[in-house]
Amino acid sequence: MAVIAGRPARGALLPPRLRAITGTRSGALAIFIIRRILWMIPILFFVILITFSLMHLAPGSPWDKNGGRQLSDTVVHNLNVRYGLDKPVPQQFLLYVWNVTHFDFGLSYQYQGKTVSDLLLESWPYTATIGVLAFLLIIPVGVGLGVLAALRQNTRVDYITMGFATIAASFPNFVIGALMVVVLSVLAYKATGGNFYLPAAGFAVDDSLIMPVVTLALLPIAYTARLTRASTLETIRQDYVRTAWAKGLPERLVVIRHVLKNSLIPVVTTLGPTFAFLVTGSVIVETVFAIPGIGRAFVTAIESRDYPMILGTTVLFSLVVAVANLIVDVLYVFIDPRVRLT
Amino acid sequence: MAIPAAAVEQITDWEVPEQQIGLWTDALQRFRRNRLAIAGAALIALLVVIAFGSPLLVHIGILPDPLKQNVDFIESGPGQNGFLLGSDELGRDTFSRLLFGSRVSLAVGILVQAIILPIGLTIGLAAGYFGGRIDNLLMRFTDIWYAFPDLLFVLVVVSVFGPSLITIFGAIALVNWVGLARLVRGQVLSIKEKEFIEAARSSGSAPVKLILKHLLPNSLGPIIVTLTFGIPNAIFLEAVLSFLGVGIQPPTPTWGQMVFDGYEAIYANPTSVVFPALAIGFTLLAFTFVGDGLRDALDPRMRR
Amino acid sequence: MHIGVWSRALTLATAGVFIAACGGNNNPTQNLASPDKQILRANNGTEPNSFDPTQQTYTYERAVGVQTFDSLFRAKADGSDIEPLGATSMDVSSDGLTYTFHLRQNEKWSDGKPVVAADWVYGWKHFLNPALAAGYVDPFFDLTIKGGANYGNVDGTKQADVDAFLNGLGLSAPDDHTFVVQLDHPAAYFKWVTTLWVAVPLRQDIIEKAAGGSFPSTDTTKAEAWANNAATIVGNGPYMIKEIAPKDHVTLVPNPNYWAPAPHLQQIVYYEIADGNTAYSQYNTGALDMIGVPLADVTVVRNDPKLSKEAILIPTLSQYWISMNTTRAPLDDKNVRMALAKSIDRDKLVNDIEHGNGKSLDTFIPKGMTGYNTSDNAQSFDPAAAKQLLAQSGKADQLSKMKLLTRNSTASKTLNQFLADQWNTNLGVNITLDVIDSKTVTRDIRKGQFDIYGLDGWIGDYPDQQDWFDIFVTGSCHNLNWGCLSDPNYDKLVSQADGDSNKTERAQLYTQAQKLLIDNAVVAFMYQPYEYDLVKSYVKGLTVTTTDDQNLPGDERYNTAFITQH
Repeated sequence: MAVIAGRPARGALLPPRLRAITGTRSGALAIFIIRRILWMIPILFFVILITFSLMHLAPGSPWDKNGGRQLSDTVVHNLNVRYGLDKPVPQQFLLYVWNVTHFDFGLSYQYQGKTVSDLLLESWPYTATIGVLAFLLIIPVGVGLGVLAALRQNTRVDYITMGFATIAASFPNFVIGALMVVVLSVLAYKATGGNFYLPAAGFAVDDSLIMPVVTLALLPIAYTARLTRASTLETIRQDYVRTAWAKGLPERLVVIRHVLKNSLIPVVTTLGPTFAFLVTGSVIVETVFAIPGIGRAFVTAIESRDYPMILGTTVLFSLVVAVANLIVDVLYVFIDPRVRLT
Repeated sequence: MAIPAAAVEQITDWEVPEQQIGLWTDALQRFRRNRLAIAGAALIALLVVIAFGSPLLVHIGILPDPLKQNVDFIESGPGQNGFLLGSDELGRDTFSRLLFGSRVSLAVGILVQAIILPIGLTIGLAAGYFGGRIDNLLMRFTDIWYAFPDLLFVLVVVSVFGPSLITIFGAIALVNWVGLARLVRGQVLSIKEKEFIEAARSSGSAPVKLILKHLLPNSLGPIIVTLTFGIPNAIFLEAVLSFLGVGIQPPTPTWGQMVFDGYEAIYANPTSVVFPALAIGFTLLAFTFVGDGLRDALDPRMRR
Repeated sequence: MHIGVWSRALTLATAGVFIAACGGNNNPTQNLASPDKQILRANNGTEPNSFDPTQQTYTYERAVGVQTFDSLFRAKADGSDIEPLGATSMDVSSDGLTYTFHLRQNEKWSDGKPVVAADWVYGWKHFLNPALAAGYVDPFFDLTIKGGANYGNVDGTKQADVDAFLNGLGLSAPDDHTFVVQLDHPAAYFKWVTTLWVAVPLRQDIIEKAAGGSFPSTDTTKAEAWANNAATIVGNGPYMIKEIAPKDHVTLVPNPNYWAPAPHLQQIVYYEIADGNTAYSQYNTGALDMIGVPLADVTVVRNDPKLSKEAILIPTLSQYWISMNTTRAPLDDKNVRMALAKSIDRDKLVNDIEHGNGKSLDTFIPKGMTGYNTSDNAQSFDPAAAKQLLAQSGKADQLSKMKLLTRNSTASKTLNQFLADQWNTNLGVNITLDVIDSKTVTRDIRKGQFDIYGLDGWIGDYPDQQDWFDIFVTGSCHNLNWGCLSDPNYDKLVSQADGDSNKTERAQLYTQAQKLLIDNAVVAFMYQPYEYDLVKSYVKGLTVTTTDDQNLPGDERYNTAFITQH
């Protein structure tokens, strides 16, 4: 959706029939979506290429142990043969890409006999649950706080809300997570003799979701609130809103009909990066709260040099992020008709 | 997969003023009126004083040596055994380590920006100026960047080149220049659409010089703000690197390492997490206040 | 066990030490909880990488393996000898080369089929299949069993080669109840090898059914297709897997066809909580019955009136040391190495840094094993003597340029900062830490690219000295003997002792070898770690033995354990 100056209109270079399609807005949208989906292929290819190279540059092999007696050279050799690591690296790369096009992500090195797809399916529900819950918190809480602060600009409500947002936006999530564990888990347990506290980790009880979700959602909430406040302030100053206000329409109606709709546009644009943040942010949150999700699996895979698992997680992450960005871009087209589809 | 940033504040739309006469004096005045920004600046100034002053305090004997182990008194609570804020798993003074930790954090924050600046500036300029294919490439590259396993990247860079300060700073900078590049690109694009550029183009003079001439003074504001917001980000990343085991080498005290090491003793000695965590939090808060203040002061829209 | 010192190690309790958890009432007829309450919830720490026992190398894997599969023998509870399990007796030929195992007559698989000798041959061959490259093959089997010496030269992709190798192994089943193993050379320790969890029988029909038919010996994917599904893991052990909840827990229930009387414990749940603090809080809230105490919380537990009664301190059959690269100056000088060894205050290390979980030990063989002998004090803490040694060598400046290679775990960093501080204080040399990613550390020590590396150590596989002394023979230079000191005298003593069937003579030879290790400062011996566990007071009758897994006291003999009303 880049604003590009000095370029021929896209339709000009297309054959007449296609130009007819691109002439209509829905046709243009279809072409835009197809183009973006096609773009995913080279992006994925490069993500795999870069990850593959980095992986093989990283010192240590999957068969090195974290202490104690190491495998003999002959066992290492047999393992390399077993997993095809004895082949030249470019050949391994091409083989991997070929397999990926057949949706075969290979066998994990760490977990015997398990495919990467199995492992991703095992971890994904954890990450998805936390991510989706956090995502559901962000829009109502973030937008609500932002609008509230804007409508009550320069009052105590505004200062408190924005003070909270600034703190939440600047404290890193592992710090917030650690502080929450200290207060809500450790100290609460000690103070109440174990009657009230939040579990510091684990996924078995519903309580245990509260801290990870809040930790993950805080930063995007704060960011959304700040953004919404700024855009709402701008909208309020617009003439038509002032007119609506002057006409004596109830405040709630004005807010919903005029202010919210317009001030949501910048928020929608951030949903893509926000979604990416929720997925990738899981690395830290899952570590702090010992949740066996994708983020944790990714760190473990790097630590154990489980090459197929590293690649599998990366591909999954890039797909999720790319699709999220695409959806947001399409949404944006619907919300703001002025957007050019290039 | 990108390491999640502490502050994802990214400025991509920043109105380019037609002229900037009086901008700087104006900005300074506005910044001075912003009490939070002044408080943030004061805290940062205090940190700088601490960073330079703490070795002196140790030298004259007021502050305990942050490296001195006292294994008979490990994991002391605040005030116990003569430790103001307690001691760590090797019986070292937490307060002293906290003060010394500011040195690494400030160095990381500021030096990383010094590396990011030339990279982001060059790539953003190129993308914005040439536009078209190169620009498109940068945007797609950003897509790759979102999904890019930079944990792995940092691990490889540090493992291959050794965990020295320079490699750690470099690795952090290399995974962080995209924001600045995108900002500069946006600035160049909007300048290109200005009437005076059109006029120059129609009169036959090369727009390159004009763009450069207008870009730098106009974009200085947003660039400064982006870099200010980048400082807490880099401080945060240093902490994450410590957690990955590729951070600054011990026994040098860093806040990130103190948090992650303290986390192992969170039940026995919760304060070993709380103090360094608060130190990181407030430092980042201070930089955010200053960044906010700078943005409000420098953003031409605020001058209305 | 091969488990690394810093990868949540520690398995074995000291031979001869019986610890009935928490004392008190150990009579199962009184106060017994109802069968539906006979559930033991323990923390196994990590999800097993495989449920195929032949592919398991870590204690958290073996913990499941020993419940689901029985080997031929197991160590007696006091570690003094072996006792029958899958076999009831064995005959050794007079030349020491042929072992004939008489299998248990009425033994059945968990699905009710009888266990026959062919299953043992199949299981051992599965384990020794070079294409599968099982992590625990060497050195117990390939160099000991007849035909095994070629293990390392077999190309795992060539079916003909793999088949020829497997068919050439000295494993045979003359009848359904006799399993014969032929050795390549006399090995006095081989009876201990038969107690390992990897040497078990396997069911050919089930493995082939899971693979969708018979498969070539080189098809590793098919060979392991059975091992992740509770339904196809059919074993001959006391328990069987009821449920595998990935990344969360494994549930075990009694094997109804097991030969021994039914146990009290009707369900064993092994949770996979990697974070010690989390497990500790789960224990406190009553969600777990058995955990290992995280190092940071040891003092809290000791001082807590309630928790301290539920805690047990178990000496482990392990020893930690510092490796020094003897191929690099100045560490090629015996006196420099000795100076380093003599300048560490091991009592401080154990009591302060390790919170008392261990015993300072400046000799090789840990307490609780034959060969434990602290009379040689050549490496004992003596800063004055250490300084003198270093001064005589004149290499203090060189030594200050050395780096201490450190894995990036908090425990490892803490310990090594203490070591560096000790050398600085007691020896006046400035050795700096080199903390890097754990895999990179392993690559570096394998290539011999390090100065000093610590702590490394050994956890015994079985209570026989051969398991320990083989570590430092010349051939193992890139597997564990990182310092790479090659001593022909030592090699000769150890190879002689390994094959010697005369107990007294054998012990003497090992004692001489131990003296060489200590006096030459091949490594700097540090301390024997102890395990500190918490077990709820209603868990009774645990039999803690030498072969229990980490943080699972009594897991080899759960048949004696029971839950009382609470």
